[in-house]
Amino acid sequence: MNKSISTPVRRSDAQKKIRGEAAYIADRRFEGQLYAKTLRSERPRARILDIRVPELPTGYTRVDRHDIPGLNRMRTVVSDHPIFAEDYVEYIGQPLFLLTGPDREQLCDLAEQVRVSYADEPGVFTLEEAEKQDTVFTDYQYRKGNVERVFRTADQIIEEEFRTGYQEHVYLEPQGIAAEYKNGILYVYGSMQCPYYVRNALLETMAITDKQMRVIQTVTGGAFGGKEEFPSLTACQVAVAAKKTGKPVVMIYDRDEDIICSTKRHPSKVRCRAALDKRGRVRGLEMDILLNAGAYNGLSPVVLQRALFSATGAYDIPHLRIRGRNYRTNMLPSGAYRGFGAPQSIFAIEMLMQQIAVKRGEDPLEYKMRHALKRGSKTCTGGRVREEVKLPEIVEKVKAMAQYDQKRIEKKAFSGIGASLFIHGCGFTGRGESDIRGKVILSKDGDTVTLRVSSVEMGQGAETILRKIVAQSLDLPLEQVRYAEVDTAVVPDSGPTVASRTTMIVGGLLQECAKEMKTRWHAVEKFDVEKVYRHPSWLRWDDKTFQGDAYPVYSWGANIAEVEVDPVTYEITVKKVYAVYDVGVPVDIRTLNGQMQGGIAQGIGWATIEVMEGEAGSLKQKNLTDYKVPTSMDAPQMEIAYVNNPYPYGPFGAKCAGELPFVGSPPAIAAAVSDALGHKINHIPLTPESLMEPDNEN
Amino acid sequence: MVTDAYRPLSLADALIFLAEQDCLPVAGGTDLMVQAARGTGVRPNFEKTLLFIAHLQELQHIHVTDTGILIGAAATLTALLEHEGIPAVFKEILKQMAAAPTRHMATLAGNIVNASPAGDTLPYLYALDAELVLRSRDRERILPVADFIRGPKQTVREKDELLTEIRIPAEEFNIQRYRKLGQRKGMSLTKVSFLGLARKKAGRIEDIRIALGSVAPRIVRSRNIEERMLGKSLTEARTMEPLVRKDYAVLIVPIDDARSTAQYRKQVSLRLIRDFIENLK
Amino acid sequence: MKIDFTLNGEIKHLDMHAATRLLDVLREHFGLCGVKEGCGEGECGACMVLVDGRAMNSCMLPVGNIEGKSVQTPEAFCQSERGRVISEAFMEAGAVQCGFCTPGFIMAAASLLNSNPHPDEQAIREALSGNLCRCTGYASIVRAVQIAAEKGARLW
Repeated sequence: MNKSISTPVRRSDAQKKIRGEAAYIADRRFEGQLYAKTLRSERPRARILDIRVPELPTGYTRVDRHDIPGLNRMRTVVSDHPIFAEDYVEYIGQPLFLLTGPDREQLCDLAEQVRVSYADEPGVFTLEEAEKQDTVFTDYQYRKGNVERVFRTADQIIEEEFRTGYQEHVYLEPQGIAAEYKNGILYVYGSMQCPYYVRNALLETMAITDKQMRVIQTVTGGAFGGKEEFPSLTACQVAVAAKKTGKPVVMIYDRDEDIICSTKRHPSKVRCRAALDKRGRVRGLEMDILLNAGAYNGLSPVVLQRALFSATGAYDIPHLRIRGRNYRTNMLPSGAYRGFGAPQSIFAIEMLMQQIAVKRGEDPLEYKMRHALKRGSKTCTGGRVREEVKLPEIVEKVKAMAQYDQKRIEKKAFSGIGASLFIHGCGFTGRGESDIRGKVILSKDGDTVTLRVSSVEMGQGAETILRKIVAQSLDLPLEQVRYAEVDTAVVPDSGPTVASRTTMIVGGLLQECAKEMKTRWHAVEKFDVEKVYRHPSWLRWDDKTFQGDAYPVYSWGANIAEVEVDPVTYEITVKKVYAVYDVGVPVDIRTLNGQMQGGIAQGIGWATIEVMEGEAGSLKQKNLTDYKVPTSMDAPQMEIAYVNNPYPYGPFGAKCAGELPFVGSPPAIAAAVSDALGHKINHIPLTPESLMEPDNEN
Repeated sequence: MVTDAYRPLSLADALIFLAEQDCLPVAGGTDLMVQAARGTGVRPNFEKTLLFIAHLQELQHIHVTDTGILIGAAATLTALLEHEGIPAVFKEILKQMAAAPTRHMATLAGNIVNASPAGDTLPYLYALDAELVLRSRDRERILPVADFIRGPKQTVREKDELLTEIRIPAEEFNIQRYRKLGQRKGMSLTKVSFLGLARKKAGRIEDIRIALGSVAPRIVRSRNIEERMLGKSLTEARTMEPLVRKDYAVLIVPIDDARSTAQYRKQVSLRLIRDFIENLK
Repeated sequence: MKIDFTLNGEIKHLDMHAATRLLDVLREHFGLCGVKEGCGEGECGACMVLVDGRAMNSCMLPVGNIEGKSVQTPEAFCQSERGRVISEAFMEAGAVQCGFCTPGFIMAAASLLNSNPHPDEQAIREALSGNLCRCTGYASIVRAVQIAAEKGARLW
């Protein structure tokens, strides 16, 4: 372990946050500001017949599709979501228009008097219905080897279907955004992960140029993907409102509003067929991944891609047919959420391998390790694993930490121990990084250096980590390294703060800048160094056939979970989670531990207590009273360790980390519950309701 | 929609106000403020004038005597938890309500008057045959809690009445079992709650109370079923348990909602009953 | 309704509808934005303040109930000696990520230590169970409270 880069430093943002002085968007005040309230569809699928708005007092304005100067679509991978509804609505909660005004109570009163009449049309709500009606948005497929032959000659074929549910991010800071015009320039401020995504959306919707706008990220109170593409929608809405009213417009969501309309994790159904040879090794895999994309496709195609490229997890399976489909339903749109499709397919492959092992009477970890990828292995998309694969060391370490072998022998009824092995592809999926061509600028001015990047601090520690990389590369005290405010007028497009790419890709570029800057440090007082990301030369990717290296490198991990199930009530207690990760080299162990602990906890939530169900287009769980995330009493003790494996193209050897811990904990929990109950588990969340079998005598 | 609020100087003052105006008494407000919420920066919407009572001296008391406990309407859940005279099983119930900060504000009286089928304190009050003192300017009446609550969110409180005191008879139990099932371990509304109290003496059941919450429109408790177990030995109780359970099954009529299913709630209730009776030791 | 109370050590006089949420009074009227709105329904704890030394959710506290009470907000508390010990402990434990929940947790921690200066891990987890954090998984926050209890032993 590179001692100094891993040694923790004090976070630059912590002091203000602790003192309650950090200014989140809801804490900011704009001179003469108006508030915006969104009127939303109450129907899952309908034609809008009529909208009746009460007479608006002076200072109160309606802002709708007619006020949009440019495109009435939110620009993202598939720009299909209207900024404001036109003649049709496709989900309950879909934005119809805004009312703006100076007093929020008045806005509430006015909103309550709005009357909308609809002509209902039949909707599609579940994956079952969507499959029957074939409401496919996107259909992808790729192959490897000769899957027909291997199934024809298989010694055994195993078929299983796995299901996962919705998940809501519950970033503690609800969505918030504001827009104002100053000297003819549009300023947009808000809680966001991707200022340049917002900028791209504004270019289209406001029909303006870069010179006519600035997007500025404000202190962001958590995101997890929920502020990746969604703010592009709200930004366009407030921008249109600011233009129409000539005043600053602020829009802060209430929590229950945020829950019913902001993007969610895609529910999934994954069908697997495995062909085993006579030694029980999985030689062929057919996987069909069905994702519920909700009413609009948005960036779901990329979520689907990552799900596809994670289909075989940590395993080397030579013959594959992997298919994935995004389905349209009249539910709120699904979108980016930590893991981004990988958790769904890795849950499936992990449970499949687990079940095969148990059926064969083998230790699941040993069985899985028989299939583990190695350096030189072909990936599922026909690329190469070029790094050293430390899985054997990882597994040995986590087993020792958990005393796994011993505990498996000492098994008690209704208590279980389970393990997962997993990977996460580092950086943007597929062609993403080459499309983005992220750019960073390092600016020297005398003794201080300023990082100009579009990566946002959203709690994950980006500000601290990236500064640290530069400080260490330049041999400068951390205090002399600044982080420019993330303002599109000041920082270049380094790409979005997503895909666990910030440390590796953006940090890597910054390290290159720093190295170059170092050579000229004494010669020049004030200068900039710029760098643009390019994939390593050996990376080959064909986006049409999905063949080649979907990612330049992977991070790896293993989790072991211990659970107890109450024999009377079937409530689950997660006693402890042990985790070992290979993220290359930890850049600040304390920050990294924070990511891992948080990711493990979110994974536990998704696997056990976070229940979000749709009912004819409506959400059954619409507020934090009904949608439960883990509290301090639900989060278990965790023991975390790392295995060193420097990546030559990552800063100080670092790879990706943010999403990895989320991917690993759900299958480990499910495996442990399966072990506790002695039967297979095919779905999450694992609620007592879903686990308790009917009692015969009742 | 603009309403007034009144902060009375004394209980007498409050009762006079209540007699003259149709108003809504508020103690901690932890249920009422959330029910009336209208969003960020907007005042909660109350249809009636508010009558604040949390500060009234006459309502703060917690008196523990040989015959029972007298609890004033403004006594908070925290005050009850910190009082050494409150029985351990009641504290176990209180401790699992919401979280400490909410308990610093919430009152036992509020939980009762809110009359939710999931009200956490209700099974205990029903099991102990607690009585409620309802006072108005001109009269006072004392009712068993089971007569006070008519159904979900419905009580027989007249609009000029204030619940001023809760009276819990002193009882001795040497078997006490409470289970609250929520959606998670921390702060949750109750999916199912089970309370089993018994006093056994010389191997026989001298007293037994069973109450269940969140599984019917009102708290489930049956004196008839309990009385059939009185005087029985532990073995006899175990033998009659399936019939006992069958009788409770008729009374347990839960619903599906955002938090759980009718099927689970019913099944787990019956399991908890069986578990309690089979393990009476 | 006229309401007199103490806010961060100073006597304040309010005249407003008694049902107004203390959260809105603090943020809008007094400009004290250390308290946050995370849910408006008493589920997340981001709005916590200390009232007579006990943590309470200001989103469900009507100002009619603070007459004569002493309210302390996170900003002011962090200036006190106890506040500095707890703040430093949060720093040391790496318990601050996005920071939105942090002021609320500091209030909850203060309230706990005010009544139980030497809590064990179980007691800490219970006392904090009314505050949600989505970033940390709670391990570092629990550790922060332990550090504060150790380092600030004589203060509570």
